[in-house]
Amino acid sequence: MIKHELQQGLRDSFPIVLGYLPLGFTFGVLARDSGLSLFQAVSMSALCFTGAGQFIAVGMFKAGGSLMAIVLTNLLVNLRYALFAASTVPYLKERIPSALAAALSYGLTDEVYAVSMNRYRTYPATASYLIALVASAHLGWIGSSLAGAILGNFITSTERLGMNFALPAMYISLMIILMRRRSDIYAALAASLTALLVGHFIPSTMANNFNIIAATLIGATLGVIINER
Amino acid sequence: MNADIWLMIFGAALASLAPRIIPVAIFTRRKMPPWLEKWLSFVAPAVLGALTAVSILAPGGVINLGRDNLYIWAFLPTFAAGLITKSIFLTLLVGIASMAALFHFMG
Repeated sequence: MIKHELQQGLRDSFPIVLGYLPLGFTFGVLARDSGLSLFQAVSMSALCFTGAGQFIAVGMFKAGGSLMAIVLTNLLVNLRYALFAASTVPYLKERIPSALAAALSYGLTDEVYAVSMNRYRTYPATASYLIALVASAHLGWIGSSLAGAILGNFITSTERLGMNFALPAMYISLMIILMRRRSDIYAALAASLTALLVGHFIPSTMANNFNIIAATLIGATLGVIINER
Repeated sequence: MNADIWLMIFGAALASLAPRIIPVAIFTRRKMPPWLEKWLSFVAPAVLGALTAVSILAPGGVINLGRDNLYIWAFLPTFAAGLITKSIFLTLLVGIASMAALFHFMG
């Protein structure tokens, strides 16, 4: 049973890792370019595990941004994870011990969140599944950062390989899979529109992902309203 | 310089891990009100809708609805593959292959 759950978690992590490869690689290149040592670049991926946040942090660091500004921007970028984390609780509660569930939530990226939520809709949550999923995704992230930090000077374009579309393709697939109720579709549409409009009229929110938070708040609220009518 | 980098790394780590860990630590111990649970059930579709829209229609951080936005062209076969296969892996393959082909012929 435990072995099966571990294997399933590993299998489900595969598309996530594939999507992380070009992104982690790019981070490795960028981190070295911003003055981080090989060890520091890899440590950052091990300790932070946040795509956009890490890109923004090394970018701001290189530009001479203050520590306070870097931390606050990172908090803003990662705020949406508080919503994600809270929404996994009904599935984890009484199935995984509280401390373990909280500890494993460190690995709750956009992709890990969507894949695990999809799993929980059909199967009960288990610690072994979540451990395998999170650890594998995290290792993929660390490994690709390491590769980028080492090989950065040799490879010029991952675009040629279509790898820049890995994450968008992942979002598309997860969005389709997660739509179960009619009201889910309205929530997603309202959120899409909000994210674009907020991002368009307040361009800084495109970079710090605040438009995604605004979109989530409005989309989910509309979902509830339509669902109750 | 070196110490600055480590401070930056630890600061960013704290800012990225706390928002994920704290809500789970609190709400797995306390009872969550039913209205909140219902609202949270719409977070996943909403956030994926938003992430998809932004990554396709504003890939460079600025909205681009022009014909030169390859992400829109790659979206079409990828979306179809997602609807038909419902498989993350196959959808990913179709997406990456479409983008590579588009880059080759139009980019």
